[in-house]
Amino acid sequence: MKTRFLFPYWCKYLGVACFVAHVPVVLFQKQLGFDFPGASESTGIFSSHHVFYVLTTLLMLTGLVLFAFSKEKIEDEQIAQLRMDSLQWAVYLSYILLIISLALTSDKADAKDIIHLNVWVPLVIFIVLFRWKMFRNSRYTKEDAI
Amino acid sequence: MKNNIRVERAIKNITQAELAELIGVSRQTINTIESNRYVPSTILALKIARVFGKPAEEIFQLEDGD
Repeated sequence: MKTRFLFPYWCKYLGVACFVAHVPVVLFQKQLGFDFPGASESTGIFSSHHVFYVLTTLLMLTGLVLFAFSKEKIEDEQIAQLRMDSLQWAVYLSYILLIISLALTSDKADAKDIIHLNVWVPLVIFIVLFRWKMFRNSRYTKEDAI
Repeated sequence: MKNNIRVERAIKNITQAELAELIGVSRQTINTIESNRYVPSTILALKIARVFGKPAEEIFQLEDGD
């Protein structure tokens, strides 16, 4: 049975690796105050701060997308249905969050943060919902087998 | 929609895992169909019926609310 385009199963592990790899890099830069030589002088698209932000965000998003949209070991129509349900709820919830956060914000700087937050929030909500549904499914199956 | 896959499996003496393997789906999918938590597509319903060698209507029946 043909399903919509999904990455192969092994991409799930690649996704986890990409996401995990980006965490220490970002923490190193943010918490330890690591800075590039001459970073404070440069501004614009090619400034080292912006390039660093784009590259780390790209690594994180690649990780999340690969993890979210890789095939399961046995991919079938019921899993496709769970994926669609989770995606729909993830869009609902992330838009509710977006509307609430926009309504409670009057500062333009905060609005920029909200946009940055929404880069990864819908994907994370989708992943949590989908993994929860999959976990619940396998728990029901195990309970049934007892 | 209700079904009697559990009964048919018992007659044929096969497990959920074996049925799942025969039609190329996960064991969880068979479990959700048996417990009426998931309504299979026509293709899957026909595949299940073919395994039991019976028409689909004998395995799947419409309920009043359908």
